Parts: sequence; structure tokens; C-alpha cells
Amino acid sequence: MPKVTIAQNILAANETIAQEIQRSLAARGICTINVMSSPGAGKTTLLERTIARLSGRLSIGVIEGDIETSADAERIEATGAETVQINTKGACHLEAHMIRDALEHIELNRINLLVIENIGNLVCPSAWNLGEDIRVVVMSTTDGDDKPAKYPQMFAASQVMIVNKLDLLPYVDFDLVKAKQQALAINPHLQIFEMSCRTGEGLDAWCDWLVAFARGNGLVPGEA
Amino acid sequence: MRPIEQGRLFLRSQNRSLEASLSEAKLEMHELAIAQSIFDVIEARAAECHATQVKGVRLRVGEASGIVTDSLTFCFEMLASFDPVLAGTQLLIDIVPHQARCRHCAKEFPVKNFIAQCPTCEKWSDEIVSGNELQILEMEIEAS
Repeated sequence: MPKVTIAQNILAANETIAQEIQRSLAARGICTINVMSSPGAGKTTLLERTIARLSGRLSIGVIEGDIETSADAERIEATGAETVQINTKGACHLEAHMIRDALEHIELNRINLLVIENIGNLVCPSAWNLGEDIRVVVMSTTDGDDKPAKYPQMFAASQVMIVNKLDLLPYVDFDLVKAKQQALAINPHLQIFEMSCRTGEGLDAWCDWLVAFARGNGLVPGEA
Repeated sequence: MRPIEQGRLFLRSQNRSLEASLSEAKLEMHELAIAQSIFDVIEARAAECHATQVKGVRLRVGEASGIVTDSLTFCFEMLASFDPVLAGTQLLIDIVPHQARCRHCAKEFPVKNFIAQCPTCEKWSDEIVSGNELQILEMEIEAS
């Protein structure tokens, strides 16, 4: 019985499209971030507050990934940012071909930062490259401090970790030191920002970093 | 705003009974998307090779890839069962251990729970040697 050599990455088809996306966005001078978290950690609020603070400094386009509804995209659209909603109808993560289609609905010459808000899920999105320059994982104090240890692939694959809902710290059993230690044990290069999108605490440091990132053509600030 | 609807991953096969079985089984999981990717590659290669039957597919799956191999096998067999050429195909999965190399003592060591700390010098390593693989190595076919 003949054996046929295949020797191919299982996700090669996705990888090829992701690389095309990255090349075409880079050629236009657009930096891209892929924002991931568990459901309810505050991705959309983070984007609303970030876009508002960066108004006049960066032009941001947003691709919103949700299983159903355009509720999040409507919130983002209200900030004035270019927005496209993808509904995956059950699929638990975004794939590169979805981003390629969504990009046709964005005026790319109007933006210099593209933000992709992935489906709220700490498992699947980490395996699928979308053509982004960096990955940002958001965790919140109501998620529990054991998330890095429980979902290590996500934290290993990200360059930035945001700890949100810092204002709730007095009311929840969340050990911030432990969460950061666990995350850094998995990924010593993680850039960590602590904030409350509700009160605005910590948002400036993140926004300044993002501007430096976008102006540095997608290089992570502080790294050679 | 009109959202772009991308549809379920498995709707690519345009097979209504397949969709029904999968939604009955409530399979909205990571392994299903991976199984669909394997299915797509194998289906295309089998057609190129004029295969009448695919007997087996050998994979290399890294320990750190986050794949539950039983779930992957289950999802793949379900997808394959609706295709005459792929029905009954066996997935043979080689697991690759998560290993890192220490820059200081140059020793290779197993990475435990994603923490790449050298057991000898207790320093962190940046050099992951293996464990992230997700590869299709080969398939065994019957051809006309």
C-alpha cells in the first residue's frame, strides 16, 4: 500500500493567509494587534477607552469578532473608529481568512493601527495566527489569579498581558503578585500593564506604549 | 451595521447531515477546527493521488500545542465518516515532548507546565527545542 509524504503544518493554509495579511498591512505602515481574553474580561471596554484617549494621536481600525450580535461593534463604532463585525456563528476563534475578508470593508488608508478583538476564549484563539504583529492577552481580577497556569498556551503566545478591573481588587480574592509571577514563569518577556478601564487608572501607560509600538512599525518597545 | 457572517467551520463541507451530527454532539471545540484542517489537506491530497481509500494518516503533535488527542481523533473520524474516500481512516499520532535547551549549561531539559526553567542552573530558557508541532507527516492510501 503506497505511502504519500505530506510533511505539512496542519495550520499551513491559515499561516499562508496570515503572512499575506501581515505583509500587506506592513506595506501600508499599519501595525496590528490581536486582543484575546476570556469572555467578560473587558476587551471591548479597553478598546473604547483606548480609542477615546488616542484620538488625534493614532487612527485606529477595529475588527470585532463575536459568535453572535453586532453589539460590540456598535459600541466601538460610537467612538468613531472604522469598525467591522465578524460573526463566526458558533466557531470559537477567528481565522486568517475571516480577517482577509473583513479587511475589504475597512478604509485602510485612514488607519495606522488595526485592532482585532478575538472571540472571548482563552484556548483556541492562541493557535491561529491572524497576521498580527503582537498578541495582547487581557485578564481581569474577577477571572481568578490562576488563569496563566490554567491556560499557558495563551500566555506563552502573547507579548503583552493586561490585568483589568484593578478597582475591584479589594472585593475579590485575586492575588495580583501570584498572577504576574505565574505569567512571567511561562513567558519572562511579557510586558504587563495593570489598569481599570472603568476608572481610567493605568490606561495612560498602556496608551503611551501603544503609540510607541505603532510608531515603531510594529516593533515591541523596549526590545532590540 | 451589517456583520460579516463567516458560518460554522464545518459548513465548508456543505453537508447538512454532517452539520446536524456535529451540532447534536455540541462540538464547538478547538480540536474540531484542527480536525477540519487535517481533513481539508488529506481530502485534497487524496484526490491528487487518485486514492480510492485513505487507510491512515500520521501526525506529529507537540505536547505544548494544547491538543487533546482523543478529541482530535473523535472529531476527525466523525468528519471522515461522511467522505467515501476518508471513511475509516485511522489517525496515528506521535506525541513530541515539550523540551527546551539551557543557554548556560547547554543541556536539554523537559519543560513542565510551560515553565522553561533549567533544573540544573535554575535559569529560564528562550530556546524551545520541541513541543509546538502540529504536522501531517504522511498518509497511507489505496489507489486505482
